[in-house]
Amino acid sequence: MIRYILKRLIYGLLVIWGVVTVIFFLFNILPGDPARMLLGQRSDISSVETIQKELGLDKPKSMQYLKFLNDLAPVSYHNFDHIDSYWYYNQEFYGKRHVIISSHGRGIVLKWPYLRTSYQSKRQVSAIIAEAFPKTLLLATSSIVLAMIIGILLGIPAAIYKDSALDRFLLVFSSFGMSIPSFFAAIIMAWLFAFVLADYTGLQMFGSLYSVDDYTGKEYLNLKNLILPAITLGIRPLAIVVSLTRSSLLDALSQDYIRTAEAKGLGSFAVVVKHGLRNSLNPVITAITGWFASLMAGAVFVEYVFDWKGIGVVIVDALEKYDLPVIMGSVLFISVILIFINILVDILYAILDPRVRLS
Amino acid sequence: MLKIENLKIEFGKTKSENIAVENINLSLAKGKALGIVGESGSGKSITALAIIGLLPPKANITQGSIEFEGVDLLLLSKRERRKYRGQKISMIFQEPMTSLNPVMRCGKQVQESIILNQQLNKKQAKELTIELFEKVNLPRPKEIYKSYPHQLSGGQKQRIIIAMAIANNPDILIADEPTTALDVTVQKEIISLLKDLRDEYEMGLIFISHDLGVIKEVADDVMVMYDGKVVETGSVNKIFNSPKHPYTKGLLACRPSINTNLKRLPEIDDIVNGQNHLEKSEKKIHHPIGHPKPTLDVIDLTKKYTSKRGLIGNKRIIIKAVDNISFKVYPGETLGLVGESGCGKTTLSRAILRLIEPNKGSVFFNEKNLMKLNKASLKDQRKKINIIFQDPYSSLNPRICIGEAIMEPMLVHKLYGNNQIRKNRVLELLEKVGLREEHYNRFPHEFSGGQRQRIVIARTLALNPKFIICDEAVSALDVSVQAKVLNLLNDLKDEFGFTYIFISHDLNVVRYMSDRLIVMKDGKIVEVGNADQIYNNPSSDYTKSLIDAVPIS
Repeated sequence: MIRYILKRLIYGLLVIWGVVTVIFFLFNILPGDPARMLLGQRSDISSVETIQKELGLDKPKSMQYLKFLNDLAPVSYHNFDHIDSYWYYNQEFYGKRHVIISSHGRGIVLKWPYLRTSYQSKRQVSAIIAEAFPKTLLLATSSIVLAMIIGILLGIPAAIYKDSALDRFLLVFSSFGMSIPSFFAAIIMAWLFAFVLADYTGLQMFGSLYSVDDYTGKEYLNLKNLILPAITLGIRPLAIVVSLTRSSLLDALSQDYIRTAEAKGLGSFAVVVKHGLRNSLNPVITAITGWFASLMAGAVFVEYVFDWKGIGVVIVDALEKYDLPVIMGSVLFISVILIFINILVDILYAILDPRVRLS
Repeated sequence: MLKIENLKIEFGKTKSENIAVENINLSLAKGKALGIVGESGSGKSITALAIIGLLPPKANITQGSIEFEGVDLLLLSKRERRKYRGQKISMIFQEPMTSLNPVMRCGKQVQESIILNQQLNKKQAKELTIELFEKVNLPRPKEIYKSYPHQLSGGQKQRIIIAMAIANNPDILIADEPTTALDVTVQKEIISLLKDLRDEYEMGLIFISHDLGVIKEVADDVMVMYDGKVVETGSVNKIFNSPKHPYTKGLLACRPSINTNLKRLPEIDDIVNGQNHLEKSEKKIHHPIGHPKPTLDVIDLTKKYTSKRGLIGNKRIIIKAVDNISFKVYPGETLGLVGESGCGKTTLSRAILRLIEPNKGSVFFNEKNLMKLNKASLKDQRKKINIIFQDPYSSLNPRICIGEAIMEPMLVHKLYGNNQIRKNRVLELLEKVGLREEHYNRFPHEFSGGQRQRIVIARTLALNPKFIICDEAVSALDVSVQAKVLNLLNDLKDEFGFTYIFISHDLNVVRYMSDRLIVMKDGKIVEVGNADQIYNNPSSDYTKSLIDAVPIS
């Protein structure tokens, strides 16, 4: 089992390296001089040159690539005599580098990955992500957990009482839920629960995790704002989880080992939960994690409609303004998150189904 | 102890339609074994499921009673009924491969039944489970307690299911084809285990099988079922020595056996219709090899599989599925190939045709080395050699009507000028294999297993091959259907002068069909020779154990 996990982690690292490489070359093909973009209107030659030097743009592409890797790697090589790029300018933000080995002013250090600075706001990309991502994470997690719990709980009776009224209703509901576009659902939800029924629900049409108090001007945590976007975002995964749980449990219940379990004298509840459900969860988990991963990348429409300031909104803004460091940084960040989720899923499969561990 | 009267089970809600079984009467005493024999679809499994109370939802008991120790089980509520299950009446199923929960440790599955039915805590239940594993002769019971089903062989899984079934000292044990999916040698062990357990626990045993030979070894009394009805009951001796009903007679006769050597196997329909072929049939003669030049010459054929282990796949385990095998097949003969599952017979048959690429060796077919041919000329040769596969259910595409399925190989190899000629040829072939013209536009699901195998045979004949490899061609069929297909294969051989390689795990069938015999084990040839000679004087211990394990009927 440990070997299995180790193997997955090594594969994960390789994939991350691949992603970094692809991103580097993709964004190097794009037109535009980063130095000029960074400086904006006041671009005298000397400051352009300074920036170019700082970014290493005067060096060949291969050197730039190595520098890019070195900036990103948590364990990296540094020349302490040199005023090298981001850490020097942003010491306050990045904090101390932990020197592992050093001699003659050079050494290997342990540090946070450096993501550059936004062309637009001049803020650290890491800071932007650190602010936006927790909101996306919270939104994605709560809608997925909602979808998973309700979905499995509804899928079980739908499978047991196949062709009953409940089953039919759920089938209609899930095909509806799968086909409704998310921006449309978002608008309808906002309108219905935060406008028409606002007096009863007490919800606002939009608002992020933190609200500003009208009188004192202070920010405060407003979890109420989470309810509508989480439900809206959860509709489609919920529909899918219901129908997947149903079909895969139906499949499991027709297997021979279910008959064996019944022949032992187990009650029907124990048969379904202990023998049926566990055998039918793999496709459900695949779907849930797939959706979770894509929600992490930002549920752009829903975040926009509800004005939830998550990573999806950040990326769309950056795209509009051609803010390359923000785009690169967020894409990279999301890729790493996705890779780790996938590793977790693989491990989860292995726990649920011992046959996976073999291959 | 158990008494069934006038039982009638119907499928579906509409009355008088789809009667599954009718007029079933049986009784079983403590420590006795009742054998139920019949073909698939005769209603034997349905009867068994009715006793334990696990009928599929669409089946309804519309008449009769099932009495157990004076209580009519059919009058009990679902909850009360459940208390009998596993505790007083337990059951072993046909498919050990799929009857265990794949994601639960084997020990836990047995333990679950013990905790449910006996007042024991987890630790005691675990001890009892390991004790039971010892009782059913599982090796290393403590390790097996912790292992998952996919880590065990079919025979071991069946032993675990048996352990589960006897865990709570049931009064009645129902075994539904418990050995059908297993090799003969394993079958022998399982049967003797069941007999021992019955004696030890004084259980009533209901043993269901389509194989009369197996029934004879186990049962005290036999009930023969046909088409949902009981056609004959009686003691084992009575049924075997003086069968009354023509169907029983047919069942006994249509199985290839050691003592008789008939040219044609008797077919059950003929016997039921009163035409008795038994007396007038001639003997089957195994051909001597008279030809100097072999049609097929296999030299040093080897197929290895490597499985990678270790962190980066650094440890390799090499399994030789086919290990340096050489043999010859002469024109007009039938070469039999026997061995237990996993011995490499299927790999061998596929490697000959390069359906899987062998690692080493050469195969000369009519003096051409198949291993050296390019794709186009290999395709040309494949026209002349053909395979009939094991499973008639999955080797036909369910979406293609059978006429087109038979025509397909002709199209692939561009035989005959146009589709009209091809169609006529297909109709001709259908007739050859005993099907009718109007079957042309039907789809596979409309046919029974035996008919499907005929379709597969017709498809094989479409290319006018000279050489046919039958890979377990009759293993999935009932004995009565098996007899018909075997006769068909022999008739076709007489008519077209085919050369066969006949692969099977069933020694009786192989011996009946073949002139010469190859016995395989672990990818190697153990013994080669004249079929009758090997059967009468096996020289290797392995062949001896195979022959000993065959139930005698």
